[in-house]
Parts: sequence; C-alpha cells; structure tokens
Amino acid sequence: MKEQSLVSDYIPILIQLCVAIGFVVATMLATHLIGPKRKGANKLESFECGIESEGNARLPFSVKYFLTAILFVLFDVEVIFMYPWAVNYKTFLHEMGMQGFFSMVIFLSLFLVGFYYIVRKGALKWE
Amino acid sequence: MNAIIALSLLGIFTLFTGIFNWRKAMLPIVVIGLAGVFVLNGMDYFTTPSWYADYTHMVIFDRYAVVFSAALIMITAMLFFLCKQYYQKEDNNISDIYGLILFTLVGGMLMASFSNFAMLFLGIEILSIPLYILAGTKRLEVTSNEASIKYFLMGSFSTGFLLFGMALVYGAAHTFTLDGIRQYTDAHAGDLPTIFVAGIMLMLVGMLFKVSGAPFHFWAPDVYSGAPTLITTFMATVVKTAAFAALYRLLFYTFGSAKPIWFDALWGVAALTMIIGNFSALYQHGVKRMLAYSSISNAGYLLIGVIAMNTHSANSIFYYTLVYSLASLVSFGVLMLVTQDNGGDDSYTAFKGLARNNPALAGLMTLAMLSLAGIPPLAGFFGKYYIFINAMENGYIYIVLIAVANSLVGIYYYFKVIVAMFAKDTAPTKIAVQPAYLFALVVAAALLFVLGIFPDWVSGLMN
Repeated sequence: MKEQSLVSDYIPILIQLCVAIGFVVATMLATHLIGPKRKGANKLESFECGIESEGNARLPFSVKYFLTAILFVLFDVEVIFMYPWAVNYKTFLHEMGMQGFFSMVIFLSLFLVGFYYIVRKGALKWE
Repeated sequence: MNAIIALSLLGIFTLFTGIFNWRKAMLPIVVIGLAGVFVLNGMDYFTTPSWYADYTHMVIFDRYAVVFSAALIMITAMLFFLCKQYYQKEDNNISDIYGLILFTLVGGMLMASFSNFAMLFLGIEILSIPLYILAGTKRLEVTSNEASIKYFLMGSFSTGFLLFGMALVYGAAHTFTLDGIRQYTDAHAGDLPTIFVAGIMLMLVGMLFKVSGAPFHFWAPDVYSGAPTLITTFMATVVKTAAFAALYRLLFYTFGSAKPIWFDALWGVAALTMIIGNFSALYQHGVKRMLAYSSISNAGYLLIGVIAMNTHSANSIFYYTLVYSLASLVSFGVLMLVTQDNGGDDSYTAFKGLARNNPALAGLMTLAMLSLAGIPPLAGFFGKYYIFINAMENGYIYIVLIAVANSLVGIYYYFKVIVAMFAKDTAPTKIAVQPAYLFALVVAAALLFVLGIFPDWVSGLMN
C-alpha cells in the first residue's frame, strides 16, 4: 500500500462532490423552468388526502409514540446484524465451528433479556 | 476479562432485581457481586487464562489494566455503601441507577485494558452514555437536567474529535491495534506525516475533555454541581481514574516515541489546568463547586505524571488517582450528609459548627481536606511527591515549580472548609448517619492514613 497520499489522489472525491451538487441544482432548476405554474388558494394548500386541513401541525404528541419508536429502532438494528451473519453462516461453520453460532446466541439472548426487561417495566403499555 | 463478563452479568441482574421487587436484596447482591468481581480481577494479576490470548488484539489484561481495574471496582463498591442513605427517599428506578453505575464501571475497566482503538472508543462510550443518564437522575430538578444535557452535548462533540483523530491515525498507520501503531510510530519517529500528527492532536482533544483538562474543562463545574452528589462523587473518582488510565495507556503504548509532538501541548494544558482549576476554586461560594474545580486542578497534577512518562509514571499516576479518589469519596460523602436536611445548601456557612455537633464527620472531612491539600502524614502528600519527583527526574523543573505554587493556593480553599467546621457560631443539628455509610467513610479515611505511612503497598503493584 502507498505510504504517502497526494492531493491529486482525492480528485475522484471532488468530482463526486461536483456531480452530487450539480445533480441537485440541475434538477431543481429544470423543474422550475419546465414545470407549469398555476397558483391559487387551493393549489398552495397542503394536501391531506383530499380532506381540508385543520389546525396547526405543531401539536404536542404523547411521549409514548417516541418511546415505541425508539424501541422499534433498537430491535430493528438487531436484524441488520443478523443478515450478514446468516449469509456468511456456512463460512463461519467451516472456519470456527460452533463458535460462530454461539456468538449469535449470546447476542440474541442479551436482546431477549432486554426485551423481557422493557415488557416487564411496562414500556409498551399504552394506557 | 472474566471480571468484565461477570460485571456485565451483574449489571443485567441488578436491573432485574428492580422488576421482581427484590428491593431489600439489591444492595447486598451488588456489593457481594462486586467483591466477587474484585477477586476475579485479582486472579488475573497472578495468572492469565489461556483463552485470553484469542482477544489480545482487542483487550489485554496486563498488570496495568488489572491494578487500575481493582481500584475502580473498590471505589465503586465503597460508593454503594453510601447509596442506601442517599437514595432513601427514592423508591422508583433505583435498580436502574445501580445497573447504570455497574455498566459505567465496565466501560471504565475497558478503558484501562484496551489494546485497540475500537475498544478504546467502546470503553469511552460505555462509560459516558450511562453517565449522561445518571447526571439527570434527579428528574424534577432543573440543575440536574441541565447537567445531563450539557454533558451529553459536549461529550458527544468531544467524542467526534476523538473519532476523527482515530480516523486520521488509521489513515497514516493502516491499523487500529496499539502494537501496530507503535511499530509505525517507532519506524517513522523522525518524520511523521502531518495527517498522523493531526490525528494525535485530535485524539488528545477528545481524551483531555474526558479528564477535564483546561481549556476543555468548561463542562466540568456545571455538570459536577448539577448532577446528584452521589453521581458527582462517582464522576470525580471512578470516571476520572478510568480517563487517566486510558490517556496514559494510549500515550505510553502507542505514541511514546512521538513524544516531541505532543509534549509541548500537554505541558501547556497541564499548567493551564492547574492554574485555572486552583484560582477558580478560590472564588467559589459552594463547597460542591469548589470540589469540582479542585477535581480540575488535580487533573492538572496528574497530567504532569503523564508527560513525565518514565518507568515510575504508571505507578505514580495510579497512586495519585487512588488517593485522590479516596479523599474525594470522603469529602463528597460528608457534603452529602450536610446537605441532606438543609435543602441542598452547600455553602461554606452550612459547615459552620459541624465539629461541635458531629465531631466524627468533621474529623473525617478534615482528614480528606488535609489529604487533598497535601499535608505530609497523609497519602495526598505522597501522591503529589511521587508525581513531582518523577517529573524532576526528567528535568521538568518549571512545571513542577508551577505545580508547587498551585498546591499552596490549594491549601487556602481546602482550609476554608476546615475553618468553617471548627467555627463557634451557628451550629447545625445532629446529622443522622447510617452505620454502613459511616463505615465506608471511615475505611476510606483510614486508607488515606495507612497509604500515607506505607505507600509501598500500592505504589509498586505494576512492577
């Protein structure tokens, strides 16, 4: 591997940056220029499934939604770890025997313990 | 490593004691569990199980790690003796607080034993994230909330610096292991690339934040004074010890031969930390805030031990952190008792007349203050002595002169507490103390005495 990296090595990143910014600017400009312009009271209103919108969107929400959402994210991430593990499972079996299996068992049991904990703690109780 | 696994399981178990309502058994379980963890950890000092070898690229339980872990476990166990009285009004979530303290300890032990940047990062995060929550455990108090959010925002920001530094070091050395980076540093000692130097500096910013070295100390006074006092004690003792263990391990094992690069920066930070810490402490009206600034100034003395970096440095840093932790434990312990019934008033006047009605507490506090000030028969003196002698061996005269001058400033504000306690006017009423609470304080104060007379007992543990 090269020990020293030159500034010129980073030119691909610069090009990538230009492409990314260029795409955003170009599409925004294009839609403004090409698209039809009709302005009216109904047209500018926010769309809510055809029903007339009511009140302000900035209402205080119950913290319970937040709790459920954050717990969902937590247990969702667990599955992300399982996919690559499952795909490479055969290689694991070849290389390290049952250790590859038991590592995941430990990981999952910790998650199950955590799940049991939040259920008993009443984090998922709605009333 | 057995100790880390056992401690994690103990933490999980503690969470469940709260669910099953084993309120009564909780504290005994935690304390006995910690004693077991201490023994497990101690066994690693004498023999290393063979399966540890599979993980040496991640964590190494050498003597350095084991000795620091032992101190961390011991101080945490003593802290749990204070918990019963401190949390006597708290009935919900107590098991969560205990569990989080145990998880924080796991992070601290990882910070003493890492041999890979990934584990350093994980250790710091395992230590920090429970702390952010613990700082806010007095939910209904604004100061506690402020401490929590401030610590969280600043802490995550500093972690960003640390990560960025790690990335740059990786970019130069192509490895995360301490061994690999040391080989790279040794090989390129003369002409290290700029990217590597920048990496070291950014990592230092992140680490100095954790040890609260000036100019990265601004979070410390507010967080220390806003957090519940028991958690403040935990931060000033266990967290500080772990942070210094990590900083010294990082610099000594990896960047040792790059010393010319970071030496001047750390020299300046050490001097600045001592001066800012001590002179700010002079002007504080509350004892809790004074102790927070004293914690900053002590970080400055410890940084001298870090920059000296010779064969005695690890031992002298360990001795100093242990002694400082014991003295902090006693002083915060007495502070908690004084403030428990008077509505949280921690000013110097709240201590007035303590010696008349609570002579035992006043005596303990006096011992702690004398040790912090560095008065000879007590261990605090030898802590400073070792650090200063250590730096003198390398010929760092000026920083030692600055440190000695600062110690003299320190004596003034530590003695202000003693003077207040022995003042004649307004006497606070007799303070009720539970036996376990007093036991922990007495043990800590006795250790200050014993370690002062026989410093060899712990100062040679790593040889």
